[in-house]
Amino acid sequence: MKRIPAAVTLTIAIAIAIAIAVAAPAAGAGPPEDLANRISGEIMSPYCPGVTLHDCPSDAAVELRGRILGWARDGWSRERILDRLEAEYGASIRSTPPASGAGLWAWVMPAVAVGAGLLAATAVARRWSRRRAPEQNLDEPTPSQRSRLDSELAQAREQL
Amino acid sequence: MRSLGGLGRPSLIAALVFAALACVLFVIGALRSRRDLTRAGTRSLTAASGFTIVSASALVNALFAHDFSIEYVANYSSESLSRGYTLAALWGGMEGSLLFWTMLLTTFSAVAVRRSRRANPRLTAWAGAILAGVGIFFLVLLVAPADPFTRLAPVPGDGRGLNPLLQSPGMMIHPPLLYSGFVGFSIPFAFALAALITGRLDEGWFTSTRRWTLFAWSSLSVGIVLGGAWAYTELGWGGYWAWDPVENASFMPWLTATAFLHSVVIQEKRRMLKIWNVTLILLTYVLAVFGTFLTRSGILSSIHTFTEGPIGKWFLPFLGVMLIGGLGVIAVRADKLKSENRFDSLMSRESAFLANNVLFLAAAFTVLWGTLYPIIAEAVTGTRLSVGPPFFNAVFIPIALAILALTGLGPLISWRRMSPGAMGRVIRVPLIVGTVVIVALALAGIGSAGALIAFGLCAFTATAVGSEFARGSKIHRRRGATGLASALARTLTRNRRRYGGYVIHLGVVLIVIGLAGGAFRTERHALLEPGESMRLGAYTVTYTDLRRSETPEKEVNEAVLDLRRGGELVAVMRPQRNFHVAQQQPQSEVSIRTNPVEDVYAVVTSFDPDGAAAIRAFINPLTWWIWAGAIVMLGGIVIVMAGEPVGARSAVRRTVPRPVAVAE
Repeated sequence: MKRIPAAVTLTIAIAIAIAIAVAAPAAGAGPPEDLANRISGEIMSPYCPGVTLHDCPSDAAVELRGRILGWARDGWSRERILDRLEAEYGASIRSTPPASGAGLWAWVMPAVAVGAGLLAATAVARRWSRRRAPEQNLDEPTPSQRSRLDSELAQAREQL
Repeated sequence: MRSLGGLGRPSLIAALVFAALACVLFVIGALRSRRDLTRAGTRSLTAASGFTIVSASALVNALFAHDFSIEYVANYSSESLSRGYTLAALWGGMEGSLLFWTMLLTTFSAVAVRRSRRANPRLTAWAGAILAGVGIFFLVLLVAPADPFTRLAPVPGDGRGLNPLLQSPGMMIHPPLLYSGFVGFSIPFAFALAALITGRLDEGWFTSTRRWTLFAWSSLSVGIVLGGAWAYTELGWGGYWAWDPVENASFMPWLTATAFLHSVVIQEKRRMLKIWNVTLILLTYVLAVFGTFLTRSGILSSIHTFTEGPIGKWFLPFLGVMLIGGLGVIAVRADKLKSENRFDSLMSRESAFLANNVLFLAAAFTVLWGTLYPIIAEAVTGTRLSVGPPFFNAVFIPIALAILALTGLGPLISWRRMSPGAMGRVIRVPLIVGTVVIVALALAGIGSAGALIAFGLCAFTATAVGSEFARGSKIHRRRGATGLASALARTLTRNRRRYGGYVIHLGVVLIVIGLAGGAFRTERHALLEPGESMRLGAYTVTYTDLRRSETPEKEVNEAVLDLRRGGELVAVMRPQRNFHVAQQQPQSEVSIRTNPVEDVYAVVTSFDPDGAAAIRAFINPLTWWIWAGAIVMLGGIVIVMAGEPVGARSAVRRTVPRPVAVAE
């Protein structure tokens, strides 16, 4: 591991960074278009089941995207456009549940799942490892032990 | 035109009879330890498979013979449909896809039982009974509520044809692969349950089904990627994943199966997590069947579910029996499922695997929760809510990034224990590379925090995996004085499972790079008259011509677009907006100019009568890497599979259990 030349790793890192930086585009031309695109990705299509307005290929969806772009060009804010759409199509047009009321649990449960899962796993691992801990020698191997270990590992790999 | 379609339904009834007979024979054979009955059960299951194949062949024959007296043929094919898509019509509708699923199930079951019957007769007998039981369920569906051979009167002159969206080369492969994945998991599921029933809870059940598990996971993985490729090239919205309920249905079992492939290594290496492993494979199969239920019940709206059918209500009791029965047997056998070893340290590869498992399971739960939440919220509160891609991206991506970090970290940590000092040494270089990438990108003007973290973790993981290859190659070079290429090849071939797993991880890294590129998408649309142009990032898109033509299936309207950068013509793109005559349905065909840096993607959403075209165009940076990563993953899968012994007997003969698939 540590013998990988630093220059090689840095070169790889910089090459990756340059490639990505080249690929990332400059900022888009018109804010109204970007706002309209963003909003169409934040609402569900009234015309394609289970799909955002942005992803819906129907002609009616194209027309609604055009209306949103028109509002964006007229200087409407994101909230005003979303409110207008909600008034017209109902609350279920928003693609994210609200972080309150009926929508709250949608957000809470995934966090609970991750937190509880990791806590439980940590508790189990800690409990099991504590039982075994006194039997173990925690000293790190000496350089000679490390060298012998490398050599034996190499032999073991060769035999696999 | 007459066809062999008349053979279809009698064959299904015969298959059902033989499956029922097989189930009875297997159960009695297992209870009385009678090998002759197990053999007879195997033959009955093989006969059920044979009759299901005859039935599916009869439907294929009816499709090719244009026998529109069969309702399914009339609904999903037409005389003008090409031969390839006529074959694809077998899985293009609900009844045909169920028949295809059942054919795979009975055939896989018969092959798996035949292969392991001699080595593990009692285990196999119970597994055979479970597989025959699952087969009975699907055959009953086909005989009763989802008969693919229902007759139609009066007989129409031509069929309605296959949905134009399904007329794509990807659709020739994507559904069969997904079904192979879903159905393939029935084999390890059945053997796990059989192990629980017999009380033989050593590693026998998963060594017997190792290749099936790998095959199912691989099929599902490739199927999911091909589904993304189909969405990208056919649906015309510039993306590849929409968190649609049907996509989620295939993704959930993939997540739990991936967790299983990792955690089973701990059972093989350390004889730990036995309950966890049987629970994971149970969950995987239940989620696979649940996905089938979601797709066919009509309870969720999706752009590519089958129409609401009568079979949804049949699935719920079946799912209940599987879940409650499986968890019940696990509870009964809990004593025998206790780990034989303990964690030596929190800082060990076992702990990394465990954390990885928790995250995969949490990810699967998150997807399930988001998919079902609209139904739950409406049932509990009466409020109609939507849960779309922004929600899934917000909750899933952080979990996925944590999994990616563990993908890099895992191989660096040693089994049993590792001191903090040693840990610091091994992660130093990957950590430096990851940090350098983040800093360099931030300095280069990349402002998306999520993308920066993703790229940094990709660099971290790629360096960690690369260093494992470097270390393996160094050992081989030292011992054999070979060149770098042959040392790398020897590293790969000497431990295919381990290094094949690392290749799969590298594929995942490339896919994540491609996905992170989505943060920089540019999109523009405009209504252009011929000769007019629009700006798209650094490009100018000019609509130069409209070309019209006709085929027997469709009216073709092609927009010719010149793509220029800095005044220089870089490509001519030809998106189409076609009208499919049989379905009376318009359909867009996208045009994509792709390279490793970015895709330029153009689609025509409509044409005005005067020839003006509504053009929607995207720049999708780094998308190419998603498909490249999938190919690398596939290469890794091939390497891992090549390292597997053929057949269960060879697996059983081994005295030392070996890990299943993932990089150890």
